[in-house]
Amino acid sequence: MKRMFSSITDGRGFDLVLVGVPFTFLLALSGLPLLYNILMSFQEVDMFSLGSVVRPFVGFKNYVDLFTQPETMSILRNTIVFVVGSITGQFIVGFALALFFWINFPGASWLRGLFLVSWVMPGLVVGAIWNWILSGDFGVLNFLLQQTGLMSGNIFWRSDPNFSLWAVILANIWLGTSFNMILLATGLAAIPTDLYEAAEMDGANAWQRFWTITLPMMRSTIGAIIALGLIFTLQQFDLFAAITDGGPNNSSNVAQYWAWDLSFRQYDFGKGATISVIMTVFVMFAATVYVRSTRHEVRG
Amino acid sequence: MGIRRTMISIALALASASLAGLSARAEDVKLVLWSLDRDIQPAPNLIKEFNAQKNGIQIEYRQLQFDDVVSEAMRAYSTGKAPDIITIDNPNHAMFASRKAFLDLTDMIRQSKVIKPENYFPGPLKSVTWDEKYYGVPKATNTIALYYNKDLFKAAGLDPEKPPQTWTELVATAKKLTNPSKNIYGLTFSAKANEEGTFQFLPWAQMGGATYKTINSEGAVKALSVWKQMLDEKLASPDTLTRSQWDSTATFNAGNAAMAISGPWEIDRMLSDAKFQWGTALLPVPSEGAQRSSAMGDFNWAIFSSTKHPKEAFKALEFFASKDVTMYKDFGQLPARSDLPVPPTGNALKDSALATFVEQLRYAQPRGPSPEWPKISKAIQDAIQAALTGQMEPKAALDQASAKIRSIGG
Repeated sequence: MKRMFSSITDGRGFDLVLVGVPFTFLLALSGLPLLYNILMSFQEVDMFSLGSVVRPFVGFKNYVDLFTQPETMSILRNTIVFVVGSITGQFIVGFALALFFWINFPGASWLRGLFLVSWVMPGLVVGAIWNWILSGDFGVLNFLLQQTGLMSGNIFWRSDPNFSLWAVILANIWLGTSFNMILLATGLAAIPTDLYEAAEMDGANAWQRFWTITLPMMRSTIGAIIALGLIFTLQQFDLFAAITDGGPNNSSNVAQYWAWDLSFRQYDFGKGATISVIMTVFVMFAATVYVRSTRHEVRG
Repeated sequence: MGIRRTMISIALALASASLAGLSARAEDVKLVLWSLDRDIQPAPNLIKEFNAQKNGIQIEYRQLQFDDVVSEAMRAYSTGKAPDIITIDNPNHAMFASRKAFLDLTDMIRQSKVIKPENYFPGPLKSVTWDEKYYGVPKATNTIALYYNKDLFKAAGLDPEKPPQTWTELVATAKKLTNPSKNIYGLTFSAKANEEGTFQFLPWAQMGGATYKTINSEGAVKALSVWKQMLDEKLASPDTLTRSQWDSTATFNAGNAAMAISGPWEIDRMLSDAKFQWGTALLPVPSEGAQRSSAMGDFNWAIFSSTKHPKEAFKALEFFASKDVTMYKDFGQLPARSDLPVPPTGNALKDSALATFVEQLRYAQPRGPSPEWPKISKAIQDAIQAALTGQMEPKAALDQASAKIRSIGG
C-alpha cells in the first residue's frame, strides 16, 4: 500500500498519472467524438435515429452519393481557395504589420494592442458589418472604389458568383490579421538583437538581414501560425452565415458550412458527418506536414 | 462556525422549499411546452393565463431559439424526453407527423367544441394534415403580398390606385419605376439560398399551376424566367440573391425600391420608417383570371405522441385556440382562422394592409406537406440560384431540381 502510494507521488505511477490524465481527457473529449463521427458517416442517420448508436449501416453510400452530387467538387475547390487565400492574406498583412510595429516608434505597443480589437469581436458581428460594407447598392467598399476612381459601376460582392467567395475571404483576412500580427510580433521580439548588430557590422543590408536572420529565426513561429491559421479558417462559419449563406448557387459554399447545412438544415446527419470526415483527413495531412517541417526545430 | 450556520440555513431553506412544493396541490397534472415565443408573443402569455385558471393542469414553459426548434425536438423525442406540447414551423410538421412523433388529434378534434377544422384557412389546415388525419392545430399564420410606393407610382405617371395585376404588368410597371440615376429599383424580393428563397418562389410556381412535385412544369419555368428577367434587366437588385426578406423590404422603406414582396410582419416597421404613401395588393398572377396562390408561414401547435397526458394537453390547445379572437390585438399575429375577422386597429393604412393579407391568406398554400421538405426546399433554392446567376437556363435548372426531388422521394 505504502509502496503504491509512494510510486504515485514519486516514481513510475506518477509518470503514468501525468500521462493518463491528459490522455483520458483527449480520448473522452476528442477521440470518442471523432470515432463517433466516422461511424455516423457509414450510417443512415436522420433525426429520429439520432439518439441511438445502432443505425442502418450503408457502407460507402454517403461517400458515393456526395461525390456524385454536381456541387461537391466546386465546394471542395472553394474550401481550398478559401483556406489558401485567407491564410496567405492574413499572414502577409499580419507579418507586414508586425514588422511595422517592430520599429518601435512612440505609441507602437499601444497601437498594436488596439489591433487586437478585431480579433475579440464575435464572428457574427464582424459578418454583419462586412455585410453592409460589401453590399452592392449602398456598400461602403463600392463607394470608396468609385470615389477613388478605381471603378465605375457597382460590384455586387455578395451576389456575383465571381466575387462572393472573395468577399468572405476579404472579411476573414481582416478578422484574422491581428492574431497573426500578435503571434509574429512575439516571435520577432524573441530574436536576439546581437545577431542583427553582428550582421550590420558585416555589412548586410536590411533586405539581407530580413532574409537571412529574421525569416530563419521565425521558422517555428511561422509554422505554428500557418497550422493555427488552417484550423481557424476551417472553423470559420459565422462569416458565411452572415454574408452569403454559401450562395449564390454554392459559389461561396465551403465544406464546413456545407456540413452544417446538411446536418442542421436538411437533417441528413450521415452526409454531414461524411464531410467532416473528409475535412479531418485534410487537416491530418496538413498537421503531418507541419509536424515534420518543424520537427528538427525542437532539438535546436 | 460560519460554515455550520450556512449549512443550517441551507437545510432550512431546502426543507421549506419542499414543504411549499408539497402544499401546491399534489394532484396537478404537469405539462411541458416548448416554443420559440418571447415574452411579448403568444405562448408564454397564454400559458400564464391558462395556469391562472387553476384547473388542475399546470404548464411549464421553455423557450427555444429558432434554429434549435427542430433539432432540440428530435433529440428530445428520440431520447424519450420530449415535451408534451410544442410549436413547430409548418413545413417541418409533416416530418414529425409522418413518423407518428406527433399525436393524432383527429378524434379529439371531432369531439371538440372549440377547435373546428372548418374555421381554419385551408392552407394552414393542410400543413397539420398528414394522411388525412390532423396531427396539430394551426397556431398563427402569415403570407406574402405586394407592397407598393404610391408616391413613386405618381412620379412615374402611373395610377397609384392600380397596382399591377399580372406578371406582365408587374414587369412593365417595374420597368417604368426603375431609375438607376436615383438608385431606385422597380421591385425588391428575396431569392436567398435558404428557406426564404423557397418561401418566395413557390407561390409563383403554384400560380403557374405547378406544385413542388412538378416543379419543372411550364408554369414554374415561366415564373423563374420572370424572376430572371427582373434580375437581368436590373429591375431588382442583384443582392436579391443574398438578402433576406426583412433586409430587402428595408430598401423599399428607404425609397430605393418601388415595390416589395413580403409579409404582414413588415407593417409596423413600414408605418414608422416609410416616409411616403404606400399601399398593398394581392400577388400578381400569370394572366388575368389565373388561379391565385401565396406562401404560408408561421407555426402550428402539436402534441408529442409520447405524452402521458394527451387529454390535458388537448385541453390546453383548446384554451389557446379560444384566445385566437384577440391574437392580433394582443400579439400582432394573424390567427389561422377564416371565421374570425381581424378587428380594426384604428389605423386606416394598417387596416387596409391587413385586409389584403387576410384576403391573400385564402389562397395561401403550405410548403409540402412532406417529411423530406428541407431537402426538397434545398433543391428548389439551388435551381433558383443557378438560374438567376445565369449559370443554368431556368428550364434546365428546374429539371435538375425535379430530378433531385424525385430521387428524394418527395
